[in-house]
Amino acid sequence: MSGARFRSRSSFAISLLVPLALIGIVTLVGASGRPAFQGTVTLILCNLIVVLGLQVFVGNSGVYSFGQLGFATAGAYVAALLTLPPAFALLQTPGLPSFIADAQLGALPATLIAAAIAGLLAVAVGLPLMRTSTLAIPISTFAFLVVVYNVTANWDRVTGGSSGLVSIPTTTSVESAGLWAAVAAVLAIAFKWSASGYRLQATREDEVAARSIGIGVMRERLIAFGISGVLCGIGGALAVHQSGVLNPTTFYFGATVTTMTMLVVGGARSVLGAVVGAIAIATVNEMLRGIENGADLFGAISVGAAPGLAAIGLGLILLATMIAMPDGLSGGREAGELPWVRRLGPTASSPPSGAPAALAGRSQVEAVEKGALRAEEISIAFSGLRVLKKVDLELEPGEALGLIGPNGAGKTTLVNVLSGFQGPDSGTVTLDGVDVTGGTPTRLARDGLGRTFQASLPFPHLTALESVAVGAMGIGIGRRRAAAVAADVLDRLSLLGQAALPAGSLTPAGQRLLGVARALATHPRYLLLDEPAAGLNEVECGELAEILHGVLGDFGCGILLIEHEMSIVMELCPRIQVLDDGTTLCVGAPEEVQADPAVVEAYLGHSFQAVANA
Amino acid sequence: MGMMNFAHGEFIMLAAYALYVFAGLPFPAAVASALLTGIAIALFAERVAFRPVRSADLSTQLVTSLAVAAILQNVVTAAVDARAQSVATPASLSESTSIGGFSVPNLEFVTLGLTAIVLAGLGWLLYRTRTGLAMRAAAENFDMARLLGVRADRVIAISFAISGALAAAVGVLIVMQTGQVTPTMGLTPVLIGFVAVVIGGFGRMFGAVIGGLLLGVLSSLLGAYLPDGLAPFRDAIVFTFPVLILIFRPHGLLGGEVGRARV
Repeated sequence: MSGARFRSRSSFAISLLVPLALIGIVTLVGASGRPAFQGTVTLILCNLIVVLGLQVFVGNSGVYSFGQLGFATAGAYVAALLTLPPAFALLQTPGLPSFIADAQLGALPATLIAAAIAGLLAVAVGLPLMRTSTLAIPISTFAFLVVVYNVTANWDRVTGGSSGLVSIPTTTSVESAGLWAAVAAVLAIAFKWSASGYRLQATREDEVAARSIGIGVMRERLIAFGISGVLCGIGGALAVHQSGVLNPTTFYFGATVTTMTMLVVGGARSVLGAVVGAIAIATVNEMLRGIENGADLFGAISVGAAPGLAAIGLGLILLATMIAMPDGLSGGREAGELPWVRRLGPTASSPPSGAPAALAGRSQVEAVEKGALRAEEISIAFSGLRVLKKVDLELEPGEALGLIGPNGAGKTTLVNVLSGFQGPDSGTVTLDGVDVTGGTPTRLARDGLGRTFQASLPFPHLTALESVAVGAMGIGIGRRRAAAVAADVLDRLSLLGQAALPAGSLTPAGQRLLGVARALATHPRYLLLDEPAAGLNEVECGELAEILHGVLGDFGCGILLIEHEMSIVMELCPRIQVLDDGTTLCVGAPEEVQADPAVVEAYLGHSFQAVANA
Repeated sequence: MGMMNFAHGEFIMLAAYALYVFAGLPFPAAVASALLTGIAIALFAERVAFRPVRSADLSTQLVTSLAVAAILQNVVTAAVDARAQSVATPASLSESTSIGGFSVPNLEFVTLGLTAIVLAGLGWLLYRTRTGLAMRAAAENFDMARLLGVRADRVIAISFAISGALAAAVGVLIVMQTGQVTPTMGLTPVLIGFVAVVIGGFGRMFGAVIGGLLLGVLSSLLGAYLPDGLAPFRDAIVFTFPVLILIFRPHGLLGGEVGRARV
């Protein structure tokens, strides 16, 4: 079992230690400076925590949220109100319930409560927002940010209104901020490499493919949104205990742009990127602010005051990054994944060895149970065009059924109906006797239905091993066992040698096989393959046929094969169903199908039929 | 275009500032200069910032537009001032006309008329002209449109010019109503626009109109009937409302095309 790992120990250690070392250096540099400098560095570290919070959601989901600073605001106000001395509280926030006004907690409990409340708020806000589409989330989260601003600016009796709060105890030191930043970095990396983190990354790489392996997109996004809220809340709470003042614009549009710039410039996909980006941008920002205030630059160039200069500079950096380097400084990689670090290391990539038989056991046992995937009288029309007309189909575990027919016959639509991507207008789909008509792809994948697509839909930024393992994680298998399952599947498909490569770097044939492997890792009892040989050359087709034979034997699942490459269909499938114009022409053995006049006509046309008969 | 442009608010803001800078000119000339400013700045942003990221994913384009917005906003802050500047408006606009006992400010007529003209013009352009067809084709599938001979660069530039002109119209109307300009004045209108699009459903002009009307009506009703204690929270309630719609219609009232995954 120990063979299968997502990364070598050294790669793991480097990925974890480099961000921590960077945070440590910043903390030490800060602690050695004068008080004013210490304050600046403390705020930079607080910002860093917020950026890490952004990374957890934005980086792993690929969905931009402009509302995370709203959670920083929430955390900051909660922490401020909990620690404000009662006398000041009475003065500034007369509307506050007395148990909060009288409370004067220490820094740690206040921060923890602030984090918890920010996290709960994130879950509450995320519940409706995460249901919306990838495009709507940036807008609706932005609207949330405005709502938070509006409430804090006008709820005078509790938040002090637009003039804000003052005399908040300043308890955050450079050291404590550095410690929290380190905790946040570990948390962010732990989430990224957890099963939930991997599932979320899969939705970022390809949402459709992610749903096909049982991943609930909304659920995974919500989890990350909540964790992101907690981290942003901590960042806000610590920051307010550094500056001692808080008003509704502290974490508003400007801070949103700044933190987003930090994340994007560093490279949103990696925790390293968040840390590097936050430190780099903060440094540039401080320098620009120095110029803005008319300070002497390096003691040589004296510049007059120029308000707005820092913000213009950050905007230009962000713009240049998007145009020239959209993956950011880190390239979206963790420290251990950087090309030059890999070259340094003794074991650049250690492909998992001795693949265990983690998978075969379960599916073969279940294959013995009697059942079938059955479609009855499926009909569907797209704006009047009837694509399927009362089509039946039956697939048993362990059997291979070929589904052929001319282009536009409705083959892919039928597979979409079977796998839940398309609800039928009428008819039923049953899975081992249970009616699953209208079930979501996620549900059906967990119930034992795997599929591939005409396009490979790879997860380009995950390694081959991760891409397949996430299939196992999709149906709820933990990450360690998922790695073992993935290694096993890759081994059987002769892909193990490429396990450590990014999926996007495999050949087209490799990516196609990877799609099959990913589906197999979900332990399907029924596997629907939509033109797996499309785009493969003759040699690769031969290899694919061999591999599919092996799959039938090893995994015991039923295979529905859509394919135009007849050699594979004829060789693999003892039973073939021919679809034409939305109806079944015939079902039978290859010889029967080939001899059927209706099939010949569908494929070759009426005149050919006449010629053949003459 | 299937693209959300944060910088649209800054097109509005810059056009409004043109009105402020050219306040000395006769009013029609000042409005014309605002219009030209809106178009020029939109074309400039398209050429410098948006064209290089055109083939990138939507998130990249979104963040790019955020960068453009931040730059433009702060350039104005640096060049003029962060504080609001007042702009004189023609007296005739602030007078009212009495209709059947109701006193209606003249400005409302201008707003209403202009909105109707813009909507009709936009609908006509998009759905009744060759250029509009080319624009919609380029929005659906840029590369394919290009292969079919649509002069895509020009089409996209035209659509940016149009959006710049529309932004300028909005900017002028806002100045007429408030009599002042600030560097952040573009934020609220663009957010309202975004939210209207989300409510209506992406890629549907009619959806955006419905969404915008709903938001406007809601905002006015809340303004009139909200008890005093809650009145300051009007914006919060207005922007929470879309969430309620999205709970039941995650892809907007009319159901967007973009939100649905194609398999």
